[in-house]
Amino acid sequence: MIGQSSPFREAFKHAVLIIGALIVILPFYVMTSYSLKSQREITTNTGGFFGAQEKVVDEYCVKLGNARDTCEVTPAIFNYTQAFKKAPLVRYLLNGLFVTASIFLIQVIVAMPCAYALSKLRFWGRDVVFGLVMFCLLIPVHAIALPIYIMLSKVGLTNTYASLIIPWTISVFGIFLMRQFFMTVPDDLIDAARMDGMSEFSIIWKVMLPTAIPALLAFAIFSVVAHWNDYFWPRFAITGMRDLYTPPLGMREFRGGSDGSDWGPMMATATIIVTPLIVAFMLAQKRFIEGITLTGMK
Amino acid sequence: MSTHHSRAGYLFIAPAIILMVLILIAPVFIAAGLSFTDYSLGNNAFNWVGVENYAKMVSRSAYTKMLWASGTYVLIVVPVSIGLGLGAALLINSVKRYGDIYKTIYFLPVMAALLAMAIVWEFALHPTIGIVNKTLVSGCGTWVEAVFSWGWLPWVDGANSWYSTSCRESFPLWFGDKSYTMWTICFIGIWQAFGFNMVLYLAGLTSVPRELYQAAEMDGAVSGWDQFRLVTWPMLGPTTVFVVTITTIRSFQVFDTVEAITQGGPSKSTYVMMYAIFEKGVKQNLIGMGSAITVAFMAFVLILTFVQRHLVERKVHYS
Repeated sequence: MIGQSSPFREAFKHAVLIIGALIVILPFYVMTSYSLKSQREITTNTGGFFGAQEKVVDEYCVKLGNARDTCEVTPAIFNYTQAFKKAPLVRYLLNGLFVTASIFLIQVIVAMPCAYALSKLRFWGRDVVFGLVMFCLLIPVHAIALPIYIMLSKVGLTNTYASLIIPWTISVFGIFLMRQFFMTVPDDLIDAARMDGMSEFSIIWKVMLPTAIPALLAFAIFSVVAHWNDYFWPRFAITGMRDLYTPPLGMREFRGGSDGSDWGPMMATATIIVTPLIVAFMLAQKRFIEGITLTGMK
Repeated sequence: MSTHHSRAGYLFIAPAIILMVLILIAPVFIAAGLSFTDYSLGNNAFNWVGVENYAKMVSRSAYTKMLWASGTYVLIVVPVSIGLGLGAALLINSVKRYGDIYKTIYFLPVMAALLAMAIVWEFALHPTIGIVNKTLVSGCGTWVEAVFSWGWLPWVDGANSWYSTSCRESFPLWFGDKSYTMWTICFIGIWQAFGFNMVLYLAGLTSVPRELYQAAEMDGAVSGWDQFRLVTWPMLGPTTVFVVTITTIRSFQVFDTVEAITQGGPSKSTYVMMYAIFEKGVKQNLIGMGSAITVAFMAFVLILTFVQRHLVERKVHYS
């Protein structure tokens, strides 16, 4: 606001903002710090952020019959290697990647032609279809998770990759967003492409798609963040089939099976799951904030 | 228009329409239908039970507790996360430097997988070895206790304050004590949501024309509060309507923290609707009951959305 800028006021504002920032960062600090420290340092709350990194003995390695001194590792390395050893974390990460990428691709393949037809082609019933899209915008997919789960298990699809992907293949929001964007593309561009003998289908991918890159990128961020982090739907769709676990499911299982002695490895797992998106966000903050707040256009 | 175009049109909308009907519209009717039955998976026969499931929802204590838990969560998280979001946006907008750094930090929880962060919070709030309680305990008997027992305020009885009492006895079991659990779950919800609201408000603030502040100043609105009350807040009307709606819908959907940490307990104090749908429908295979909760949930969300539409159409904005 205007006209109030005494140094004291400014310092006070920063003080408030810093306290807020500390509370926001606390769990991130705990997560990273614990992922580096030994179990003893965690339970006694010593060692600062990095811990002393004194070597600890990997008891499991000793049990396998190795000499004690060959089984010594620094806590940071121990935690991160345990994270990958105790559970098939690589598999979970690849599952997450595959599911997230498939969802986005199918959403685009379904939404782009529909958005193009709704914005640039004229046919009987177009307004009805658009009305249907607007109506579907009202239905939150989380709310209908149970009936979708029932339908999928009736056709025997629970505990498959398909069950993780199918409910998200239709993004009415994506259709709406793309349609709004296509409305601003001049008709002349499309007419010129038609004159050149391009089919309607190739117009979508060769003419419309390149013009829609900014909107598509924002939508990609919106979609990828939502589905990489999603825990709710995978919890419904996957029951005990470990091979299909996405990263959050893997994290949950790790915690559920822990007797409290694995804090370091567990926090290392959390760090590994959370880091990709945080790093991507740091690198392209503007785009991410734009993408995440896209829902603001509804 | 040429038939060629209209044929292409139908071809292009067909996949989307089929999926919309199958994935979005059919489930609504399926849930509505099943909510009047005692259906369960793997069991082909079922009975129509009328409104029995709905009757249970308002009469059985487990379900009234559920409505109560969801309601409490929404009523705490929505106003607090919006208030903090707006406050953070105003502060960040008004500081001369480093505003972007705060913005980045406050937005971090929005990006992080909530399930992972819920488990981290659970550790941080562990009653004996969690960093929060350890820090609180280490403050006992020092200046920290003196400050936060608020005993230096003339009207506060320092020795019996929350902090001093906890020092003498023990600090809370954040997730085990019924009187704290809901608040702690709400706290995590607020922690996660307010950065999102902040970003929306920051976007809203950029659209407030600066001349309005000058005009208000000329009309005598000199103090920061007057300018906020007369210019900023009314201009943020549309943003606020949207933020309230989306935060409310998202708060109704809270699941990750409850499922991972409390499983609805202790004694159903955090038994929110989404968790109830999961527990009844998937874990216990009581599809009828789960569907009835689903329908109630959808009704809440639809009502909210219509109220929002109505408010937007009545032009809450002054531009």
